[in-house]
Amino acid sequence: AGQLRSCHDENFLHSVPLRSKINAIAKKHGLDDVPSQVVSLISHATQERLRNIVEKLANIAEHRLEIYKA
Amino acid sequence: RQPAPPQQLENKVLDKRRLQELVKEIDPLEQLDEDVEEMLMQIADDFIDNVVTASCLIAKHRKSNTVEVKDVQLHLERSWNMWIPGFGSEELRP
Repeated sequence: AGQLRSCHDENFLHSVPLRSKINAIAKKHGLDDVPSQVVSLISHATQERLRNIVEKLANIAEHRLEIYKA
Repeated sequence: RQPAPPQQLENKVLDKRRLQELVKEIDPLEQLDEDVEEMLMQIADDFIDNVVTASCLIAKHRKSNTVEVKDVQLHLERSWNMWIPGFGSEELRP
């Protein structure tokens, strides 16, 4: 499969420990080692998950301060 | 309060520097408590476990020995309402 991304794609998570964590789970289910595209996809998804949470937290923290200001 | 355990860089999938970079991207003035950082790291770990486990079950369901991008994408879309662009989707090809 060809790479479609034209910009440099550095994984958010550390690839080596992430890969071993994923492969350990796959092995538990009797599956083979996962392709590196899967490792990269999971790294991006985790980044997205954290981004969503931090955005919400920033919003909530702002509201908390507004209570004290009022 | 217990001091934070020493960072095991070789074992951790996420380090605090990356996490802080992400926070700065969202809001340059935002700062995270150390407890919050720890919690986000835990959330990241749990998320990975959840996604990989579900993807393994999907791969097994289609009687494959390997987890593929499409297995992960199916779970991300259905359970997390998440679509990550740029991973082997045919419609992007010229």
